[in-house]
Amino acid sequence: MKKIHFILIPLVFFGFILGKVFTPDTEDKKQISTEFSQDKASQNDAGRFHDNSLLRVTQKLNCKSCHESEYPTKDYPGLLSCPRSDMISVYHSPEEGPEFVKIDEMSDYYNGVEFSHKVHAEMSEMSGGCTGCHHYNTTGPVLNCRKCHESSRSREDVSIPDLKAAYHRQCTNCHKQWSNENGCSNQCHTPKGSDVSLVSSSVKSKTHPVLTLPAKLVWETGAKTNKIVTFFHNEHVEIFGLECKSCHNQESCIKCHTVERNIDPAKLTRRDRSIEEHHKPCANCHMGNSCQKCHRDRELSPFDHSRSGGWVLKSYHSSIACEKCHGTAMPYIRTGHKCISCHKKFSEEFDHKLAGFTFSEGHTGLECKNCHPDGDFTKTPVCTDCHDDKSFPQDLPGTRK
Amino acid sequence: MHKQKVCTYKVLLHPRRSLIYFDYMKNLDRRNFLKTAAVGAASLALGSRPVKAADKTLSEDRIGILIDTTVCAGCRHCEWACRTAHGLPAGDLESYSDNSVFKYYRRPDNSSLTVVNEFENEKNPMLPVYVKSQCMHCEKPACVSACIVGALTKNEDGSVTWNDDKCIGCRYCMVACQFQVPTYEWHKSIDPHIMKCDLCSERRSKGLLPACVEICPNEALLFGKRSDILKAAKNKIKRKPGTYIDHIYGEHEIGGTTVMYISGKKFDDLKMPQLGTATAPGISEAIQHGIFAYFVPPVTLFALLGTVMWITKFGKSGTAGCTKENEKLQTENKNETSSG
Repeated sequence: MKKIHFILIPLVFFGFILGKVFTPDTEDKKQISTEFSQDKASQNDAGRFHDNSLLRVTQKLNCKSCHESEYPTKDYPGLLSCPRSDMISVYHSPEEGPEFVKIDEMSDYYNGVEFSHKVHAEMSEMSGGCTGCHHYNTTGPVLNCRKCHESSRSREDVSIPDLKAAYHRQCTNCHKQWSNENGCSNQCHTPKGSDVSLVSSSVKSKTHPVLTLPAKLVWETGAKTNKIVTFFHNEHVEIFGLECKSCHNQESCIKCHTVERNIDPAKLTRRDRSIEEHHKPCANCHMGNSCQKCHRDRELSPFDHSRSGGWVLKSYHSSIACEKCHGTAMPYIRTGHKCISCHKKFSEEFDHKLAGFTFSEGHTGLECKNCHPDGDFTKTPVCTDCHDDKSFPQDLPGTRK
Repeated sequence: MHKQKVCTYKVLLHPRRSLIYFDYMKNLDRRNFLKTAAVGAASLALGSRPVKAADKTLSEDRIGILIDTTVCAGCRHCEWACRTAHGLPAGDLESYSDNSVFKYYRRPDNSSLTVVNEFENEKNPMLPVYVKSQCMHCEKPACVSACIVGALTKNEDGSVTWNDDKCIGCRYCMVACQFQVPTYEWHKSIDPHIMKCDLCSERRSKGLLPACVEICPNEALLFGKRSDILKAAKNKIKRKPGTYIDHIYGEHEIGGTTVMYISGKKFDDLKMPQLGTATAPGISEAIQHGIFAYFVPPVTLFALLGTVMWITKFGKSGTAGCTKENEKLQTENKNETSSG
């Protein structure tokens, strides 16, 4: 009996240990592990939060959207840089703005300045939109500059420019040359008391002239081979329906408005840009294309769907938008030549006129699968189930339209 | 005269005599300065240390000015305001829109204590870069260190000012300055001045801003406490890394300056001198003050020389002389005793 005890006691002991090691996870353990993985996920989210601004828009607004610290106080709010621009989804068009804005908040010596808002706003989309001048696109009314910009130059917080500077910078950031053209009293300010208006009545109703768009642009690069680059501007606008701002979004007005200035146009094109920067307008969409897509040894011919896509756009296909079949994402999806790749939902109401014929009386009551086996509309319809001597497309189940 | 004597007395006896001496010097005119020069020299010799470039502690709230070259529009209104504030012929403000002056690079001179220069902007030739230059008001100014009469002062508020009453016109300051700022009124035969920006000390004493800061339409000149200004500059660079290069010119250059710059272009290309972080008077003062510290080294040197001379005179030939004299004395004694 004693020997049995010697065997049993270690067995029980090992059994106990094994049981401890291999017991299924308790509720507590499970919770900890899930919490941990959530933490990891939120960390990843935080990483993306900074990288992908789109993600922010979809995120719900909570304390952590603005406050970095866990327990923000009035004295130590621990504010993150404002995610305002990513959160606001309402965008105003330039046309909504006023035609003229009179700025006369701080004129001791001068009359108020009349700013032609409309002319500036019209083309602003090409140079960054409203935020080129306004701090952000707001859902409510535009805040008065005075709300934040103090009128006194000697002040505590110098990180925000004073009101005088805020206004002047709006103009001179772009119109730097005014300071050398006696701009103060030529462009904006008239002395107090005088009733001369610098903005003549002809300017008041002025709008930006309609732009003449180029059809085709051809460049010759300095490369030894494949030095011709052809760009069909008209196709991108008319066929592919691109808006101006989808390519021209960070442009300066001076790209066109150099006529009055004594600037050598050659100088303007000589911009030190990296290869990536140079190709960015094209590569935004043509990411997957090879260099030879644009760089050829001769000029390209205009877009032809039958040549590029492999089949001619006939009848109503020629009038529908590209994205109906190819999707909105760039590069376009290659759909293939089969009807079914676009027309996925055929039903009994399908009008066979579209296939080029109308059914004869004997065929009208039939079900789809009688001719299209297994409901596969990509295959040639089968006539041999009923007719021994008929075959599509030599014979039609009706009359040609 | 009596008062003056009392002062000198105090100067000589006070433990912190050097500082009091210089405070006292401040209130002198040139005549009194020359009169007390000798006494002053004596007091210096008695143990006062020569004045260092930044001997006085600078205030924590000392001034800083940030020049944002990306904001400056080159209107040159600051030049007009500066001339007007300093009583220099300024002309009509509208005449300053003439941009032909930008053809040649200009430096501050006796007719204009600040000037604006134009530089090309490769990124956008329509928006050139403008750089205002004037006295940088170094934290450890070389001019103050070089001045032999203490006519230039580094003030507690950070500004470097020039005192007409003490200046003897040696123009050492002009040679010492690494920014080539102080200029001389060569055309004046009587009472020519050293001309340089004084941060509008007169205007500031009335509670006004420096003239250039006040007139700037774009607030390209940010005026405030140096610590706040540095913070604002760093913030600007952080917020717009594409606009600015990550360098605040004057933060560390030659030990820091009161006037600092931020730019989108390399400071090399804006004709800003490339200077290290070592202070200009640092090495020269270390040597000079090392040699003349408390007059111990020169006194030691002369003492050593004297000892050597004494040894050579009285040590070797001296003993021979003594024996001769002894012999003489002995012979005289003998003569006396023989005669007696």
